[in-house]
Amino acid sequence: MNVELTELTRKFGHTRAVAGVTLEAGPGVFGLLGPNGAGKTSLLRMMATVLPPTSGTLRLLGRDPGGYGPRREIRRRLGYLPQNLGYYPGFTVVDFVEYFALLKDMPPGQVPRAVATAIEQVGLGDKARVKLRTLSGGMLRRVGIAQAIVNEPELLLLDEPTAGLDPEQRVAFRALLREFGERATVIVSTHLAGDVAAACSEVTLMDAGRIVFHGTPAELIARGEGHGVGDAPLERGYSAVLAAARS
Amino acid sequence: MTGGGDLTGGYQDTGPAPGDVDLDRVWLGVAAQVWRRQPGPAERAAARLLRSPGLARALVTTPSLLLGWVIATVVILLAGVGFTLGTGTPWVALLAPAVAAAGIAYAYGPGIDPAWELSQSMAVSDRMVLLIRALVVFGLNAALGLAASAASGAAAAVTFGWLVPMTAVCALALAAATVTRSPNVGVAAGSAGWVIAVLAGQAAEGRFTAAITDSFFVLPYLAFAACCGAVVLFATRIPRGTS
Repeated sequence: MNVELTELTRKFGHTRAVAGVTLEAGPGVFGLLGPNGAGKTSLLRMMATVLPPTSGTLRLLGRDPGGYGPRREIRRRLGYLPQNLGYYPGFTVVDFVEYFALLKDMPPGQVPRAVATAIEQVGLGDKARVKLRTLSGGMLRRVGIAQAIVNEPELLLLDEPTAGLDPEQRVAFRALLREFGERATVIVSTHLAGDVAAACSEVTLMDAGRIVFHGTPAELIARGEGHGVGDAPLERGYSAVLAAARS
Repeated sequence: MTGGGDLTGGYQDTGPAPGDVDLDRVWLGVAAQVWRRQPGPAERAAARLLRSPGLARALVTTPSLLLGWVIATVVILLAGVGFTLGTGTPWVALLAPAVAAAGIAYAYGPGIDPAWELSQSMAVSDRMVLLIRALVVFGLNAALGLAASAASGAAAAVTFGWLVPMTAVCALALAAATVTRSPNVGVAAGSAGWVIAVLAGQAAEGRFTAAITDSFFVLPYLAFAACCGAVVLFATRIPRGTS
């Protein structure tokens, strides 16, 4: 298993952002759904080794990120796209992706080709030498995705990756996710049920810091049959599960 | 030249490309070479010295090591040299610690790094980046300050006397910038601390230069710097997981 969480909890003051989450994930694409404030971002940040848990057990890629050596090894094999990714406006697309490839400790000889591959994978080849300050929001998001995948991560954590992408780009991105999911664990936090339905093999629904559903998209859809509100089957499943959890 | 064809008559007819040529792969190889960034001499030297290309890249992108910042530092110190020569007051020694503190405060941290959260998830630890950047900024400012001080013809006690206070003021600026996550607060704290030290020296001994030349202050400066260093280490500690 690439991700093993046991009773993972994170508190901010008196607020429990993540409350006793237990989860295992191997290769595949996992959707993390939930309303605002459900704890998705805090959970992803803990898995990205940016935020330490308050209690519980966290093992990533078979290692305990609590120690310096294992954490460094995890980070070499990790790809992370934060929800709010800042950019260096004076950097070009290549500069930015290369910078983080080097900070991921990639062997320098492999970096140029890995950077070119990542930039082509997100469809920014024609913008490779363009400064970030001139790019649109959707393009910047794709730059963020490129830095996340540049090291061919075994654990890829994406927080709202499709925000700002147009429909055509989202379709291409889902295909990329499926491709990565064949050999890595991809965890995608999103508000968009369409992304989950199209790209994810499993879905986890969080509410108030807890997991209230874990299963396949088909199982979530089945929960919404005859219940729930929403335009799409997955949305009806989502709302039915949330309503049941809150009642 | 390989291939053996007639190269003198213009284009060769090489026939159709083999069907098994992966053009995407070829293009990636070309793009990798075309887009490859050539590190400058400073970055190459840093990479060899630090044995980490990532750390070297992080070092050369330090805001307070960029050319504009260094030029501004030199201009301020040159102005100090001019005032020192004109007035006899060791302005270089009074300015250098505050200038260095500003550089240190702007070396690293969430207040100046737009991609701070992402940087924290990298294999090259942010604490190491902070340490290397702070050391290099300090070293550069010390070298520039010493050169300016020597150029101003100050006595040896003044030329070197401000190095210890500069260490304390820089440590204060770094600690304040790290704890508050704001480089501006770091600059303000460092500058204010230095002004207070200078004024306190004047109040105690009746001269501005007491804070620089009086050896009585050396140990308190060093102790204060050590305390600030401890604050930085605490603030940048990576809390252990509970697993």
